[in-house]
Amino acid sequence: MADFGEVIETRYNLSEEQLAASKFGFSPVYHSGSPTVYSPGDVVNLPYVSGETSSITALGNAWAAYASGVTPT
Amino acid sequence: MAVAVGIQHPYTYPFEYRIPSPAGTSPTGGNQPLILGVVQGFPTSRKEFGMHWVGCRVGGILRFDNVVDHLGALASIASISEDDEYWYVQLAGSWSSVNPLPPPLYVPNPSGAPLKPLLGEILEDRIIAPGGTPITKDTLNPATDKRYGYVQAILIDVDGENGILKLKKAGSFQASPDNVYLTPAIGTFIPGRFFTIGTRYACTCQDFTRRSYAFTMNLGAKEVRRFPYTKPSLLKYGRHELITNLNSQTINNQAMTDPNQNRSLELTPSSIDNPGVFSDFGGRYIRNIPAGESAEGPATFVDYTAKNNQIISYSDYWTPLLDEMRYCKHIYSLRFEEGILPPEPSDLPVGTAESLTEWEQNLVIESSTSKQHMETANTLRGVALMDVPPRNFQSPQVLPMMQKLLNVPTSFIRLENFRMQDKTGAFYDPSAYESPAT
Repeated sequence: MADFGEVIETRYNLSEEQLAASKFGFSPVYHSGSPTVYSPGDVVNLPYVSGETSSITALGNAWAAYASGVTPT
Repeated sequence: MAVAVGIQHPYTYPFEYRIPSPAGTSPTGGNQPLILGVVQGFPTSRKEFGMHWVGCRVGGILRFDNVVDHLGALASIASISEDDEYWYVQLAGSWSSVNPLPPPLYVPNPSGAPLKPLLGEILEDRIIAPGGTPITKDTLNPATDKRYGYVQAILIDVDGENGILKLKKAGSFQASPDNVYLTPAIGTFIPGRFFTIGTRYACTCQDFTRRSYAFTMNLGAKEVRRFPYTKPSLLKYGRHELITNLNSQTINNQAMTDPNQNRSLELTPSSIDNPGVFSDFGGRYIRNIPAGESAEGPATFVDYTAKNNQIISYSDYWTPLLDEMRYCKHIYSLRFEEGILPPEPSDLPVGTAESLTEWEQNLVIESSTSKQHMETANTLRGVALMDVPPRNFQSPQVLPMMQKLLNVPTSFIRLENFRMQDKTGAFYDPSAYESPAT
């Protein structure tokens, strides 16, 4: 079960060949950790339960304030 | 081809944008309202800092199961009517001039016409039940063991007082039960579901922004610096943007600044391009049919009248699309990774003198050369020169892109609202001088 804010990957798992092709030019480059892999898929913006400000509400509040001349902070 | 290779490079900068709150208020509850996205760099030799930056705001951010009317009813899809070009979706709930659709769908504006910030966004009917995870094109309906499928289309207009959304059929997509994307969609939205918002892209490249930026480096062995200029013949009336330091009000066109130094973008209306910074390419035209402003789509070539097999008149139906977002090759490569192929014609040669086999072999050689070039010169140069998110988010090139990506006024784009994700998956706050894990 996905957690709040977690990105569900759709099709962005790099193969070994793709990772190998990601080397920088021909000079050896040393790096540690996994390459950042980020999905162009979806985010589970859930659960916005009762009492929480959802993204669409927050964006609406910001726009409404903007229309009234109040710049959000 | 080189761009397709670019997607495999890990120049990805995932970010979390904390939606700003009106002064004096703050979001309530445990989970904070966020917009998530990623900025992906594509090395290039066509740009000063060696990188085109593509922004991707992931889908599913704004959910209509959080939209309620004044009685607390959820705004699910109640009914759909349609004509040749549009779907008209009635949202559930009781809407009136006193209680219109809530912002950001419909924002009352004390000083003029109401704002409709979500126009141009992609809406998808992917939430089956309130609070549910959005379905994908693969999701099976456990009751029938068939895929749910969904439709995505562009929001064209909002009738806030009646709770009606108008969506465009042309360019729509349908994830069919056969697990393929169809365009345009042959079905329509399913009543009872909730809309969610689709993946949105923006890019800093010249193709997407339709702007040419001053380029003061040459590509020879020596990086000779020159004076930025724009040819006077290319200057025209257009959008004149000034990026200024928020505190001192002085012009600041730097590519990167301190992550704690905010800048603002101001427009000078009725002015010319910004010489030495950019010049607009101007509007572009698509083939369209004037009668009733018919749907944009494949050219029908009925731009003439004929009688007895003789053309008796020509007319020209090209109409300007000055501010419509168009995808560039960088965005198409991201969409390709996502599994959505662009609805574009094939580039197979027509009427070529050489054989198709020869053409294909040449294409392979050209792709290989281009990839090789990409892997070496461009990448090394890009890495050596590039500007880095989020320090470049308010630069003349990237700030308009971020505005298009997040679809908020530029004054909402403040560096303290961004958290960047490092390689371990942890978020850090650059504006507080935090650093990624090493």
